Amino acid sequence: MPTPSQDMKTVIPDLRNVTLDQLEELGSTPLAHAVALYRERLTKNGVPLSSFNARI
Amino acid sequence: MDRVAALKTHRLPETAFAALAAGGGDSDVIRMLRETQQSKHTMLLHAIAGAAGDADPADPGIAAFRAGYELLTRVQVTDPAAWTWLLGQPHLGGWANDSLIRLDQGAPPDFAYLACAAASGAVRAGVPFELNAPVRDGHVLLPGLGRIAVSRETAGDEPAWIRLRYDGGLLVAGDDVVLPRAALAPDYGLAQPVPPWRGTPAVRAEADGLSWDVLLVIDDPYLDRYTLPMSADLDADQLERWRQRVRAAFEVLARQHRWTAGPVADGVAVIVPLTPHSQTDLITATSPAAFGAIATSWPPDPVTLAETLVHEFQHVKLCGLLDLVPLAESGGEKVYAPWRRDPRPAGGLLQGIYAHVGVVRFWAAQRHAETELEDVLRAQVQFARWRPTIEAAVETLRQTGNLTAEGERFAELMRAEGQRLADEPVPDDALQIAREASLDHWLTWQIQHVAVNAPGVSSLADAYRAGEPCPGPDLPGTWIQEDVRKLGSSMRSRLLNMRYLEPARYRELLDGGTLPLTEPDRLLLSQATEVAVRGYRDLISESPDPQPEAWVGLALALHQLPASPLADAFAARLPVLFEVHGCLGAGCDPLDLAGWFG
Repeated sequence: MPTPSQDMKTVIPDLRNVTLDQLEELGSTPLAHAVALYRERLTKNGVPLSSFNARI
Repeated sequence: MDRVAALKTHRLPETAFAALAAGGGDSDVIRMLRETQQSKHTMLLHAIAGAAGDADPADPGIAAFRAGYELLTRVQVTDPAAWTWLLGQPHLGGWANDSLIRLDQGAPPDFAYLACAAASGAVRAGVPFELNAPVRDGHVLLPGLGRIAVSRETAGDEPAWIRLRYDGGLLVAGDDVVLPRAALAPDYGLAQPVPPWRGTPAVRAEADGLSWDVLLVIDDPYLDRYTLPMSADLDADQLERWRQRVRAAFEVLARQHRWTAGPVADGVAVIVPLTPHSQTDLITATSPAAFGAIATSWPPDPVTLAETLVHEFQHVKLCGLLDLVPLAESGGEKVYAPWRRDPRPAGGLLQGIYAHVGVVRFWAAQRHAETELEDVLRAQVQFARWRPTIEAAVETLRQTGNLTAEGERFAELMRAEGQRLADEPVPDDALQIAREASLDHWLTWQIQHVAVNAPGVSSLADAYRAGEPCPGPDLPGTWIQEDVRKLGSSMRSRLLNMRYLEPARYRELLDGGTLPLTEPDRLLLSQATEVAVRGYRDLISESPDPQPEAWVGLALALHQLPASPLADAFAARLPVLFEVHGCLGAGCDPLDLAGWFG
């Protein structure tokens, strides 16, 4: 069980402070894994809609 | 800027995970989710740019994408706030997701949309540009801001193109449309329109020191992604009604539900009005592709919209979290969800539970805020109906075996939140209505989706026919099979819900006597229970055809009477009873058969 002070690892690269130009220079390698994971998820799950009829 | 070489992934504090699992998450948590979406959209944009780089540069869509991408690089450096705004917009997420899916299917995405999105960001930032933008349905869309009506012929699905030139102060579209920067803004309904500009309808809601800016998007194809079409043809009066309703709903949240009012204002950037098939339906939806957008058909009152905002915002938060941490594996057996007519996969059930953690919390407070008798009853019934579903559905979810380790922890925290409200008292009348609506839903779902082993059914029918005692407690095996039986009208179920959701309309319809109800249904709804039992029994016994709706009605009527083994038999074995009776055919008394099961 993690403690409240711990951080959880996630699967999204932190690109907040990265410019598009820097990404261009970077090529696709460091991001490839994250993009592949996301594409795999999309292929497996599609984009599952949460839809609700509140009258039924 | 950090060195790209030191690229790290987003981190999620354990405290944020726990707060979200309990149904909450303050503005800091929502900001964190928004920032991860910004990264996600950047990542997807990068992937799409890779595909565009491999495509024919002479293609006008590719050329527009490249011009848009180049413009974005300038916007990002010149005005990071405009960049953050654009990357956080739900329509950009919708476009990026759809583009990736199309690429993976070998189909070209709508590359040119990026030119429009980049133009929006540049207009906000005051960054000059010149590029070709697609014209669709006589408009150039500037997503998140509005659209310009232009006269360009389009052929089929292919867009026409128009040159946009912007110097930071004036936007010129083609040869003859000139619009000042100040006009290129969403429409809050406060200023005269500046044709041919039509600002995206928007609302600014303020209540109790909180404020919320939200767009009512009715024209962006990447937010027209729900089970119903967006209401693209709302006129000025209808838009104003939407604005008023949104403001009134936000007041409800700000005054009674402070725990979620601020986070909703921070996390919901767009409402998509939907057009329902029936005016009496209230359809609401959320898509994980469009973080920050929720969709709803016209809400009949501010409290209902406030509940919808809470419900759908739960989905928004969970979608954001699921981008960071997988909680459930895909696939697996579909199971019962107390708020849906169809069996749901583990991931869908997780979403539903999480939404209802928020809904229960909403009604727990709202029932103390209401003053009108019928509003109090509605709030009490809603609370009583959804509260017990959390724990039961969490158990069902865990039994699917589809949860990850983090999903197990998340589920336990949701269960604890459900238990926190378990001892709150509810008036008897509300409790009874809630239990009947829940039982109707559960039994109807079983009749529709629970299959029964056919040889086992035949053996039981043979034993009953031969006058032998019921063979024992081991009943034929059952399994979930979607739509194994077709049901007819859902009018009785709708009325059972209408009793507390719209009591005036319920009385009006029932008194009118024109509803497509069977006589036993009418008797059941009028609480003439014993006559209803006889009516259902006769209907089932005498009909040559199966009567699944009448079986559910009979079970409901038995539950209106004092507790009995017969009522328990119906609740526990309805699909088996139904199938065995089907084997025996007309003339068999369903009550006698249920009694035989003991």
